[in-house]
Amino acid sequence: MEDKRKLLNHFLAALAYRTQKALREAPDDFGSFRILEGVRTPAELVRHMASVLGYARTFFVGGHYWPEPLASFEEEIERFHEMLGLLAQHLRNGDALREGMTEERLLQGPFSDAMTHAGQLALLRRFAGAPVPPENFIVAKIQEERLGPDQPKPVCPDKIWPEAPKGWKG
Amino acid sequence: MNTNLTDKNLTGKRSLLRHTVATLAYRGGKAVTNAPEGFEEFRVNESTRTPGQILAHIGDLLDWGLSIASGQQKWHDSKPLAWNDEVARFYAALAAFDAFLASDEPLHAPEEKLFQGPVADALTHVGQLAMLRRIAGGPMKGENYFRAEIEAGRVGADQSGKRVEFD
Repeated sequence: MEDKRKLLNHFLAALAYRTQKALREAPDDFGSFRILEGVRTPAELVRHMASVLGYARTFFVGGHYWPEPLASFEEEIERFHEMLGLLAQHLRNGDALREGMTEERLLQGPFSDAMTHAGQLALLRRFAGAPVPPENFIVAKIQEERLGPDQPKPVCPDKIWPEAPKGWKG
Repeated sequence: MNTNLTDKNLTGKRSLLRHTVATLAYRGGKAVTNAPEGFEEFRVNESTRTPGQILAHIGDLLDWGLSIASGQQKWHDSKPLAWNDEVARFYAALAAFDAFLASDEPLHAPEEKLFQGPVADALTHVGQLAMLRRIAGGPMKGENYFRAEIEAGRVGADQSGKRVEFD
């Protein structure tokens, strides 16, 4: 695989890892948690993440992508991970990009969009009273071929967490 | 350190990492520009970070990224500065990191690790600043970022004004 595409593939793997970190052990009703009218719920965010990645995929396969809302949060999450896998396959295959799209534009647009939304999921966890424990991400076991919901646990979770909820055991 | 190399001299991965740093400058710059009055102190509840604290953390992440890239890994938790000073620090940290990536100095960590750690972290926090802008009543305009004029090396406050924005 060409160098830039390898890094893009790693980007998708990091996105899978960070999204699962933000969703793992979330409260049952987290998908519908709304902090304020006009701010996306976690389910809406995950659907939007699938949407921007699906949009990125149209530069490999053509057409349009507009995901309809699914019945459950779990299905939204499943669709998001499927889209990660489909997109990664195009990168691995070396498929040509259409309409003047470049690796740089994929990165600055839909890929980075999705990463910022992963951060918003983590923020919503905190607002929902179930914050995500911090870790050292540089040593996280992020693997290019691991794009599904089954992501590894942190290699190096932080020992100190100043904003930890009561009862947290590091 | 020779910082006059163009992207043509860099490997594909290193060049794309520079582009990610430029993306961070563009997107981060948008999240901190024209923020509502008092935004740096805005807090949704007691246990959440303020935008000022988040921006200071982004600065720390970029400093950390540079320290890893240059082989002298060091972490420092900084206290938030006044908003405009923290914004200036954000751009200064981006510039220092980018200058190293643009140089012919060897990287002391793979591009993948630099990306998955400090750079991706900083991007997620930029997303949080954007969400806090909306909650604080000063939302940013949406934008088609894939059409944005983002270029490696353009990491200061002077970002392109040609934007495809929407409400």
